[in-house]
Amino acid sequence: MIEARGVEKWYPNGFHALRGVDLTVEQGEVVVIMGPSGSGKSTFLRTFNALEDFQKGAITVDGITLSDDLRHIDAIRREVGMVFQQFNLFPHLTVLENLTLAPVLVRKLPKAEVQRRALDLLERVGIAEQAHKYPGQLSGGQQQRVAIARSLCMEPRILLFDEPTSALDPEMVQEVLEVMQGLARDGMTMVVVTHEVRFARQVAHRVVLMDAGVVVESAPPEQFFANPQHERSRQFLSQIS
Amino acid sequence: MDSPLLRRLRRDLFATPLDGLISIVLVVALAASAAGLLHWALVQAQWAVIQANSTLFAVGRYPLDQQWRLWLLTILLAAATGLSWGLLRALPRPDRPARLWPFNDRLAAVLLAGLALGLPLLLRLGTAIQLRWWVITALLLLARWAAGRWGRRIPDPVRRWIPLIWPLLYLLGMVLISGGLGLVNVSPSEWGGLLLTLLEASFAILLCFPLGVLLALGRRSALPLLRWGAVLYIEFIRGAPLITLLFLGQNILGFLLPGGLAPERVWRAAWVLTFFAAAYVAEAVRSGLAAVPLGQLEAARSLGLAMPQALIHVVLPQALRVALPATVGQFITLLQDTTLLSLIGLLDLLGTARTVMANPAFLGKNAEVYLVLAVLFWGCCAALGLGSRALETRLNTHSTAKA
Repeated sequence: MIEARGVEKWYPNGFHALRGVDLTVEQGEVVVIMGPSGSGKSTFLRTFNALEDFQKGAITVDGITLSDDLRHIDAIRREVGMVFQQFNLFPHLTVLENLTLAPVLVRKLPKAEVQRRALDLLERVGIAEQAHKYPGQLSGGQQQRVAIARSLCMEPRILLFDEPTSALDPEMVQEVLEVMQGLARDGMTMVVVTHEVRFARQVAHRVVLMDAGVVVESAPPEQFFANPQHERSRQFLSQIS
Repeated sequence: MDSPLLRRLRRDLFATPLDGLISIVLVVALAASAAGLLHWALVQAQWAVIQANSTLFAVGRYPLDQQWRLWLLTILLAAATGLSWGLLRALPRPDRPARLWPFNDRLAAVLLAGLALGLPLLLRLGTAIQLRWWVITALLLLARWAAGRWGRRIPDPVRRWIPLIWPLLYLLGMVLISGGLGLVNVSPSEWGGLLLTLLEASFAILLCFPLGVLLALGRRSALPLLRWGAVLYIEFIRGAPLITLLFLGQNILGFLLPGGLAPERVWRAAWVLTFFAAAYVAEAVRSGLAAVPLGQLEAARSLGLAMPQALIHVVLPQALRVALPATVGQFITLLQDTTLLSLIGLLDLLGTARTVMANPAFLGKNAEVYLVLAVLFWGCCAALGLGSRALETRLNTHSTAKA
């Protein structure tokens, strides 16, 4: 589903953020990207839907090659959903309107149909009764679940998560992880940047460790956590546990 | 001697000896100036200058036999105002309680009625004109009451189109004022007084807003040509005094705009005001755009929204809400800036006042004239401010908590 080859990125200030990253994500696979802050993991994730550009290498998402062609970018963004650390819900719209905005505008679906689907999705993430509230009236965990439902409402083929639980109070982390776990069970292709070791152990098919703009190690979670192959991985694991 | 009122007075005004002293000095000063003003207004001032020229102040040299068109427009405006006001109260947002007659509305209604009854009497306008103002005010309040009472019963599809009466009314007003569609043409050089002031201000306000939004977007655009063009325009306009632009406009605007768009001095001035205010509105909107987190645009784009869709549905609604107070401040400034038109020879309110004061029959009556002018401007600006505050409260439903 996602095929990244030799991706390199320099920031305008000259910082070499990605130094040749390779990653392949199969359909239905859940890949967790871990790594110290500044390792380039969020930047890498954001190249998949062209929120960040890159200077060298190639990325193919769902058969479409990312290029400067705006039509390709729009096509990819329709099929790839993204969940942000800061939720980024639209504060001036109700929860329901947050969900229906994109399908109605982008997919040109009839409003009534989209609303039905949106209410189903809110039910699924456990907050159907909040549909007519504004995001500011919800807790952080509820907001992030709305954000996930908003992405799902576009019926994406891939979901990207950029540290989805890092901005949450500890007691709200679990409710969001449970929703993500449910999605994984249903076979959604997911790439998740996170520090949640338990989620990585239980849900991921593969854990990728990035450091200083390169992939250090890529292995199934059992192997990655029990028997890391690289010195850098051992060092990282000893720091987070 | 221990009523709640007394206790409150003591706490608010006489908490400490110093507080008490300040309160007493202020009360005495206020009372003295109020008494002086009242004495002057009721005893010394000679309002004959206003009575004799009231029509001139209102509409300038608009032909007498065509003035019914302006009365008709006033009647329509009053009805539309009452209707909109009532509907605003009858149809609250779903998440806030409905209050048909909040305290402020009662106060406004009483004030309006008082003004309609008192002002024409005070100025000793003719009976016929007095009567007209009473009828118009009564119509406004009646429309307010009826729309509040029965607004909910208007079916939804009809209701959605009601705001459209305002642009339609504006176009109709233009026709009524200037002629056309079977009405005799009244040349802009015959418009004057409050009519001209309001016309110039409303024209500029309506057009400078979209123009300012476009300029603000241009200034943040990724396209260098657009960005630099917007920056150049905004900085040039903001760096030049309006009066020089007005003089410049009288000379060169004829060459800049397509033929026929600015043939009259009145319209040339209106365009200059528009272009001038647009630069300031652009800066207000830019600060609003800066207040919207980048994540909002990213979220919208990641959902597949194209750039224009993301701007229209996600970024601008939030940015304009932030920019609203500053923008309305610009509108109020713009309204007051119309007085500069008198310096390029147009007979706006101030220009009319200057011709009246130059009339030997009314020599030395400057204070009366300027006071009326100040009150008129204050009234218009207060109306703008109240309208914007009502809009703000209505738009601010979600901002009780951050998102």
